[in-house]
Formats: sequence, structure tokens, C-alpha cells
Amino acid sequence: MMKLLEKLSPAECPKLLHRVVDGLCGRGYPRRTDYGDRWSLSEWTELMNALPSLFRLAIGKKYSDQEIQELLADLDSGHAEAILQVVHSRQEEIRHALVERTNAVSSTQLQDFNWQIKLALSSDKLSALHTPLLNLSLDLKENAIQRPVSIEMNREELQTLISALEAANKVVLQLK
Amino acid sequence: MRFRFCGDLDCPDWVLAEISTLARISSVKMKLLCVQVIKDLLDEGIDYDKVTKLTSDAKFEAGDIKASIAVLSFILSSAAKHDVDSASLSSELQQLGLPKEHTTGLCKSYEEKHSALQEKLRDSSLRLGRLEGVSWRVDYTLSSSELKEVNEPTIQLRLQAQGAESDTTETTVVSMTADKFRVLLTELKQAQAMMNALH
Repeated sequence: MMKLLEKLSPAECPKLLHRVVDGLCGRGYPRRTDYGDRWSLSEWTELMNALPSLFRLAIGKKYSDQEIQELLADLDSGHAEAILQVVHSRQEEIRHALVERTNAVSSTQLQDFNWQIKLALSSDKLSALHTPLLNLSLDLKENAIQRPVSIEMNREELQTLISALEAANKVVLQLK
Repeated sequence: MRFRFCGDLDCPDWVLAEISTLARISSVKMKLLCVQVIKDLLDEGIDYDKVTKLTSDAKFEAGDIKASIAVLSFILSSAAKHDVDSASLSSELQQLGLPKEHTTGLCKSYEEKHSALQEKLRDSSLRLGRLEGVSWRVDYTLSSSELKEVNEPTIQLRLQAQGAESDTTETTVVSMTADKFRVLLTELKQAQAMMNALH
């Protein structure tokens, strides 16, 4: 099925391949419409399955250039060379994406977080409250489903959280 | 007339009416009653037997006992809510007709517990969630089906937080890469510095 890539000239290849790697790294795959009628829908689907898994395999299993070339045996040398080039230049990014995928195995992941500090001025209980509060909002990703979690903390609770995180950070720093 | 201990509003009629009930017991007994009411406000538990004994001389009925507890609760919590000093409270209560000895006793109890009462009110003010517990674990991932040699630390966090409706505890378990973890910690520390600078 890699043969399908030969519908592009070796010079046009890198652009498509880089966009596939972009997709692998979570930035959106290329679209078939960008390439006109060069591939049928089923051919495109096949190619879009084969290319990302090739990149994942090459980096994930730490294949040597020779091993990659063996995988691409049915492709002519110009196209194979283009693939190798992309593997080399995007190695770090692909590895990073694979680390992220590894972390997503059977656990909820932190996608993003935001925070906000507010000064609570007054309440029905106390007219001059003057208590600073921190809102921490965590965007969690669980099986490709996003879920927001929001926690309100006062000074003491934030201190508890930071102390716990610092203790964990100490361990992480020792690992490096 | 407006009163500071009522939040610069008129004194409610029922408070005005029950102040005369308070005047029926001796000032010493009223001070002891104050101590019980403050205990109640601080969630330390009110001793109703003691309250009954304190008010028995004055031949208080159940309704009078309830009214005197209610009016003392109102005066003490409302004064603490609006941060009224005991001297102002004393003069305002005397304007409302509470005898001087009674006022002195009440204000003395109030002054002693002023900050404890405010702390209690601060704690019971509306909170939309509260952090109750944090547990963590640092893992070192060796290998996976995706990547043969991972060798990266991951941090697992479990946060127990109370939701906006009290008595619902939500537990969140989340894992993150060391990079993200560092950013989270750094930003939380920045936020903490800002929070601490607020005083």
C-alpha cells in the first residue's frame, strides 16, 4: 500500500509526509481534498493508516535506517529516501507524541489547566470577608473525551497542594 | 434609627421586643447565657439543661427561652458579621433599652470571642468547592506498546475536592508528564505569591 505514495513525485512527498507527522503530533492530518483526485477515498484511507503507523513503528521500535528501508522495499528509492528524511528530522516530535500516547494508556491525562485568583469581598455570613481564593480548572482527557474539573482553594488549601506537588517534584528532579 | 450591629439598618422589631425579655433575668445569668449562645454559634454545643437552670429564676417558659437564645444569637452574630467593636455595640444596645449591667456582660463576652466568631463566619461563608486531600505518586515508565524505550517520569495525582453542593466529594485522578507537572507547579507558586501579597 506504500506504493500509493508513488502517485506523488518525490519532490511533492515531503510536504504530505510532514503533514502526516503533524497529525500524529496532534495538529490535524492532511485532507484528501488538498490533493485533488489523485487518490480514491479508499486509497486515501489506506495511505492515512499506513503512513502514521510506519512513523510510529520506526520511532517506537527504534528501527535503524536499514530496517526502515526493508519495510519500504516495494517503494522506489526516491520516495523511500523522502520518508527516511522525514523520520530523521521529526524524530524528537514523534517520540514526544508517542510518550504522550504512552501516558494516555489506561489513565486520565492532564491536557491543559487554567487558574484565576479572586478576592472574596463579602458574604451573607461576614460583611468584610477579604479572603483570596484560587480557582484551578483542569482539562482532563479520558479516552479522547474532554472533561473539565474545577477546584476552589483558599490560602491553606493551596499550600497543601503546593507542598504535595513539591514533594513529588523532588523525586522527579532526582530522576533526571 | 439605624444600628451598626444591624448592618446600618433598622433594628428588627422582634429583636426590639425580645430585648425586654432579656432584661427579666439577672445580668450575671444573662452573661452566662451569652456564653452558652456563643458556644452554639461556634458549634461547640449548647447545654440546654444549663440554659433552663439559668432562666428558671425568672420563670421563663419554653417560648421565652427560645426567644432569648434567638435574640442573643442575632445580636452576637450580626455584630461579628458587621465587625462592630464592643463599645459601639454597648451604646447601641443601651439605646435599644437593654440595662447597662446586662449590656456590659454581653459586650464582655462578645469582646472575648469577637475574633473566634468572625473566624467561624469566615469559615462558613459560601465556598464553591474546597480541596480536601492530595495524594501523589511518581512513576517511571520503562516501555510501552507505543514506544519500546520510554524512560520518562509521569506524575499521578489524586485530588479530593468538595463540590459546589456541600457534602459531595469528588475525586479526580490525573496523570501528567514531568514537563506539564513542572509548569503546573510553577504557575501555582506564582499564584500563591500573588495571594500572599494581598495582605
